[in-house]
Amino acid sequence: MPPPPDKVPAQREDGQTPPVTEPRRPLKSSDRPAKTRIAKTNPAQQSLSLAPLTELQPDDPPAGAKRTGARQLWLCNHFPSLPLEALNARNKSMPDVVFENQQGNRRVLLASTRAERLGITPGLSINAALALAPSLKLEERNAEKESRVLERLAVWAGRFTSIVSLEPPDLLLLEIRGSLRLFGDIKALRQQVESGLAEQGFKPSMAIAPTALASVWLARAGRSVSIDDTTNLAGALSSLPLRCLEWPESVRESLNGMGIYCIGDCLRLPRQGFARRFGAARLLQLDRALGRLPDPRRSYRAPERFSEECELPEEQSDSEMLLEACLQLLSNLERFLTTRQIEVRHVQFSFFHLRAPATHLTLGCRQTGRKKEQWFELLAIRFDRLVLPEPVISIRLRSGAGQALQADEGNFFQTSGQRRNTSITRLTERLSVRLGNDGGVHGVTTVAEHRPQYAWRKAETESPGPRLPPCAAMSNHWHAHHSPLLLADIRRTSSLLLRRPLWMLPEPLALIAREGNPQYQGPLKLEDGPERLETGWWDGNGIARDYYVAVNTKGIRLWIYRNRHKEATWHLHGIFG
Amino acid sequence: MQKDTPSYAELHALSNFTFLRGASHPEELVHKAAELGYEALAITDECSVSGIVRAHVAAREYGLKKLIIGSELRLSESLKLVALAQNRRGYARLCRLITEGRRAAEKGSYRLQPAAFADGLPDCLMLWIPDNRLLLNDSDCWILEAFRGRLWIAVEQLADGLERERLRRLQSLGRMLRLPLVASGDVHMHCRKRRALQDTVTAIRLGTTLDRAGFALYPNGERYLRSRKRLATLYPAELRQQTLCIAGMIDFSLDELRYEYPDELVPAGETPASHLRKLSEEGMQRRWPEGAPAKVRTLVEHELELIRSLEYEAYFLTVYDIVAFARSQGILCQGRGSAANSAVCFCLGITEVDPSRMAMLVERFISRERNEPPDIDVDFEHERREEVIQYIYRKYGRERAALAATVITYQPRSALRDVGKALGLSGLQVDRLARSMQWWDGQEVDTGRVVEAGLDPASPVIRRLLRLVRQLIGFPRHLSQHVGGFVISRGPLAELVPVENATMKDRTVIQWEKDDLEDLGLLKVDVLGLGMLTAIRRSFDLIRHFDGREYSLATVPAEDSAVYDMICDADTMGVFQIESRAQMAMLPRLKPRNYYDLVIEVAIIRPGPIQGDMVHPYLRRRNKEEQVEYPSEEVRSVLKRTLGVPIFQEQVMQLAVVAAGFTPGEADRLRRAMAAWKRRGGLGPFEDKLIRGMRERGYPEKFARQIFHQIEGFGEYGFPESHSASFALLVYVSCWLKHHEPAAFTCALLNSQPMGFYSASQLTQDLRRHGVEVRPVDVNHSDWDCSLERREDGTAAMRIGMRQIKGLSEAAARKVVLLREKRAYSSIQQLLERANLSRRDLSALAAAGALKPLDGHRHKVRWAVAGVEEPTPLLTALDRYEAAPMLRKPTEGQNIVADFKSLGMSLERHPVALLRQRLNRHRYIPAAQLASMPTGRQVRVAGLVITKQRPGSASGVTFITLEDESGHVNLIVWRKTAEEQRGVLLAARLMGIEGELQIEGKVIHVIVRRMIDHSHLLGELMVPSREFR
Repeated sequence: MPPPPDKVPAQREDGQTPPVTEPRRPLKSSDRPAKTRIAKTNPAQQSLSLAPLTELQPDDPPAGAKRTGARQLWLCNHFPSLPLEALNARNKSMPDVVFENQQGNRRVLLASTRAERLGITPGLSINAALALAPSLKLEERNAEKESRVLERLAVWAGRFTSIVSLEPPDLLLLEIRGSLRLFGDIKALRQQVESGLAEQGFKPSMAIAPTALASVWLARAGRSVSIDDTTNLAGALSSLPLRCLEWPESVRESLNGMGIYCIGDCLRLPRQGFARRFGAARLLQLDRALGRLPDPRRSYRAPERFSEECELPEEQSDSEMLLEACLQLLSNLERFLTTRQIEVRHVQFSFFHLRAPATHLTLGCRQTGRKKEQWFELLAIRFDRLVLPEPVISIRLRSGAGQALQADEGNFFQTSGQRRNTSITRLTERLSVRLGNDGGVHGVTTVAEHRPQYAWRKAETESPGPRLPPCAAMSNHWHAHHSPLLLADIRRTSSLLLRRPLWMLPEPLALIAREGNPQYQGPLKLEDGPERLETGWWDGNGIARDYYVAVNTKGIRLWIYRNRHKEATWHLHGIFG
Repeated sequence: MQKDTPSYAELHALSNFTFLRGASHPEELVHKAAELGYEALAITDECSVSGIVRAHVAAREYGLKKLIIGSELRLSESLKLVALAQNRRGYARLCRLITEGRRAAEKGSYRLQPAAFADGLPDCLMLWIPDNRLLLNDSDCWILEAFRGRLWIAVEQLADGLERERLRRLQSLGRMLRLPLVASGDVHMHCRKRRALQDTVTAIRLGTTLDRAGFALYPNGERYLRSRKRLATLYPAELRQQTLCIAGMIDFSLDELRYEYPDELVPAGETPASHLRKLSEEGMQRRWPEGAPAKVRTLVEHELELIRSLEYEAYFLTVYDIVAFARSQGILCQGRGSAANSAVCFCLGITEVDPSRMAMLVERFISRERNEPPDIDVDFEHERREEVIQYIYRKYGRERAALAATVITYQPRSALRDVGKALGLSGLQVDRLARSMQWWDGQEVDTGRVVEAGLDPASPVIRRLLRLVRQLIGFPRHLSQHVGGFVISRGPLAELVPVENATMKDRTVIQWEKDDLEDLGLLKVDVLGLGMLTAIRRSFDLIRHFDGREYSLATVPAEDSAVYDMICDADTMGVFQIESRAQMAMLPRLKPRNYYDLVIEVAIIRPGPIQGDMVHPYLRRRNKEEQVEYPSEEVRSVLKRTLGVPIFQEQVMQLAVVAAGFTPGEADRLRRAMAAWKRRGGLGPFEDKLIRGMRERGYPEKFARQIFHQIEGFGEYGFPESHSASFALLVYVSCWLKHHEPAAFTCALLNSQPMGFYSASQLTQDLRRHGVEVRPVDVNHSDWDCSLERREDGTAAMRIGMRQIKGLSEAAARKVVLLREKRAYSSIQQLLERANLSRRDLSALAAAGALKPLDGHRHKVRWAVAGVEEPTPLLTALDRYEAAPMLRKPTEGQNIVADFKSLGMSLERHPVALLRQRLNRHRYIPAAQLASMPTGRQVRVAGLVITKQRPGSASGVTFITLEDESGHVNLIVWRKTAEEQRGVLLAARLMGIEGELQIEGKVIHVIVRRMIDHSHLLGELMVPSREFR
């Protein structure tokens, strides 16, 4: 298992510096004083920590800060539309509005440009939005998906730098100082990141600055600037509105009440007074942004295995469309593998259906690979044989454990357990293809249903079958006689008991009637009944029938019914054993 | 029906008042049972008699032979009983039992233990409903003893194929237990067509979908009122005979219920009549110290006689007692309703409407023929109503006083939601459809809207959905409490009607609603809250404190022409009733000049008269542009005072009587039908009868049709004259106050918020426009409430109170006021040291600018206050060491923003004034200039959106009011424009418009062609826009 991304490994596997934004080279002696000061800072004793800080006058940055700043350069991608883009990432039909469900209150979280043009703004209730544009396409926010997408982007961004910091919910930071030479210059690098993201359907607000925080604030404010040097930093930040600091509403309100609307205003306040009113942490934040204090960041570490799910916009059974979606997944896989500098030997596709268990398809190849074409070829061959029980609603692609590029060919065989799994999967797959969908053995399950044709149902061997509804009536004996489990119990209490034949015809058989009397191998004598069943109207397969127990001339007891329609036709539905 | 068809009485039937089980209205069950020729029908809702009054009324109407009152009671999983009240005593006992079960459980459910039947529930007949086990549990055997001789085994044959077997076994069980068997049907609906609805409500009740509901649904639709012939095939004769036996043993009808008034209201040695006479005489003395006019004297005499003959004394005494209590507490109140405008009520002080002023209302207040109880609603100051309610509970005890219920019924939207869910539609789909419900008239859904919602109107699911929704609308869903309708009785109330828990803690409601009480002739007193009464009482108090003048509702000088001048100018912001946009537009045309004009004004600007197209004929006739013609002398007598146009509910009923030959009782039913015709669908039978009646009496068809159309328009909004008369007095008094005591009146309004149409900001601006000085909030001068201050010239100025400050606690404000009595605060430190305020309160004061006089501009104050730590440290010490920041002085715009944020108003310039230059660039003109322009001119104006209204009566027209620094502009947005520019309409807070000016006398409107959103100009300026529907 890969380590969870929040655990920062002490050493990267390539033996490079730890992925922390602290200077890669050892600190110069001139840097030390600043660092020591921080080390002394004890959050429990604010007044103590404040004392040395007051020495730092705004226009007198600590010695070495300039150089610290010069050593790093941060590119921040802020994704304000991530909730929309995440849903939209591979679906051609994009929703107009993403909404959020807050205690049953559905409100617009984000609106597409099209929706905005119709007057739909965040915060609007869904009903208000529908009032404006009744044909809106709405989708609920999927935070999990957003974080998956952000992670995927973090992995992708690894091609530009080894220091990528992922800050949920909507920030992705790249330290690019070291990569500049490789990509030419800031402008070129920036352009590549931008176009790469655009290609994947993302339009972040992007800013570059010598400190991480500054780049974040600039990006949040929508200033797409590239600032190379700390000397320009204070000036560039000072006009930013307080909003992009994401301080609590009350703090912002309070500052606004004093006529303070931008970062520059804040910087002009007496430091001690500011810290006392709004907390020393906020003051430190300002210092970090300006490069007066270091600002370590955690680097994101990608998971070892690739796993991604692609939801289809609608149930899909067209194999070409399915293959196209698979190809998309494979190209993401390729991107993943390229970034990680690894290869894999097998991948598994899982096709999910609405009403049936998932169909899995495992592909293995003798040589490790990462090219999508290689995998796609394999897939295409197998796909022909693949029988999908139902249309597909989503597809997942998972890779096996990755191996370093230069891995030894002899490592082909994995542990025996894994191998067995794989072969069983293959066997099952082969078997299921042979037997076809409805040739096999099926289980039986009872269903809480008055309609006899639905009361017993074939069950898939793998699936637990439709669950009985948790309705209160199960405790009500009046109805409980339908449940075979309770039959014995009821018999013991000698209560009334419905008669149901054990042998039910798969399809009721129409009977001829003579002078209104049903015939089946001769005239039938009605014994018991009628038991009237009128139900099921809600799904279009409603019935209205009078069931009777009838005896034919041979003394065989039959379960027959008469339709309660104008024609009043008779049918045979079951035979009592 | 054939003679030899067997007889039958149904003893076990649930109506839809067994919420979400029964699938038919009680009326439908009764109607059907009568049609089928049943000997009797028992309505046996589960632990409830809520629907029984409706059934009772319907039984009379449809001629059902006998209606039996009972209840289905489930004691445990295994034991289900039906109790039938044999006589009045049995009914009382049953009500007690239901009360007990309901009070022991949470609202909406009940819990009954065998102990509740310890006395055997005497005077009730009992059916035991066995389930399919056909067993009497050992633990349930007590019923054999408890109900000995009054217990039957119910045999319910519901076509499950087990009939023969069941009958055989129950027969042997009956022999064993020595119990007789009786037939019954477990009826859930009146006809089998309701099967789908019954399944649906079951799914709704269980919170599941139909296809998951499984065995919770019935296997078939046999639980309906079956024909006697069919029943004869299912039950042996002796079982059917038993139903008749049981019905024969029952001798009880709701008609027997007699309301008994509380008797503590009459002192020893007096009768209710003599006591009422004495109080009336005393009141007359008080009202007319020099002796009442002969006219009034005769009137009182006449009314007392009428009251005596109908035995309504105790009712008047009850209301008198409540009003007397309010008066003793200084709570302002005012009665209204048919009986309230009587001379007796004036003498008793229940109302202040002088009968000599209201000559035309006399005698109609109670009708001798109609057996309708007098109706008095009493409005109290809204903030003090609870005191009155607590007094009633104290005086009569919870045993004897309870609130009437309001039956909450399914509306199109709620029906759609619930049915949609039951059919398995997604929440989003249902939401979409619910939106289209706005255009639903109760019968047909606009298919276009369904398509817009992304659904196919032709699909079977949608068709099913709409069919079921149509049926479900109007079904009762649960009981809620009436706003203030109290029932008070002499004996325990629970013997008259079951009492159950309300949602509100310590509140109980009875199982009947207002109409039910009326139907049975039971009396209730409506104890309602009215904000304007609070404001008026506060105005009186402020005036008294300011310069010692005393006023009351009765002593405000009557018929002041200066006040009517003001009203005719539509200068009525803040007054009672006639302050709305529609009312203001009507005033200059209607030109009310006397009290009765106000009575009409109050009633005519309502959806009813507007939809019935009565406003314009009345206006034309009043302006003498149209001749008034009466088709007959009778009609003239009814319509003369409103110039031939029926405006009041009473007139409609009278018309039905004099012109169409309705009996008073029928007229009353017409009134009820009017109130509900949209919901229940159609005035059908009345339409025929009305038009036929009028034709027979020689009225032209056209006149008859026109009257009927007007009646339809009245819909649910018909307003009775008797209410209008009482309201008109409050209209007059509030207008008088606004005209003569504007400072006190506005002050009182602000102190009574929230109420009325307008915000504190608008009311304050209006006051300043009338030349009254308004002073800012200030820790050294403001009280908690807004207050009056004396200016040098002796006139009053209004000081904004600290109650306007957002986030300030009342306790803190009161402390600030208390501690400055000796000497004013001279600095923030001083305020801190003395009042020891929390940081939160201090910040609130600073944000409001209330500390400005102490320590310079708002920015500085807020910085200083933010530095205070809790508990208050030595601020002085800190202050000395802290570097003072350079803070910019707030600009005017910033001050306005801050004012609005904290106070909801500002005394600085109007925000639009600050933007005027920029608006000029867009060629927007100030609102005040419109009056001097010719009608029809294309104009551009801009302002803050202060109200947005889309009344149901105005067929999709939206009314918007804009406010700029010079005044208001009234906009009319046609539906088409509104739909095309919906985005701007919904979002704009600062709106610019382009449109056509329309001036008619003093009424100015702009018909909007284009709307532009300029909200961004406001920056952070937040002006709340109030939206009314």
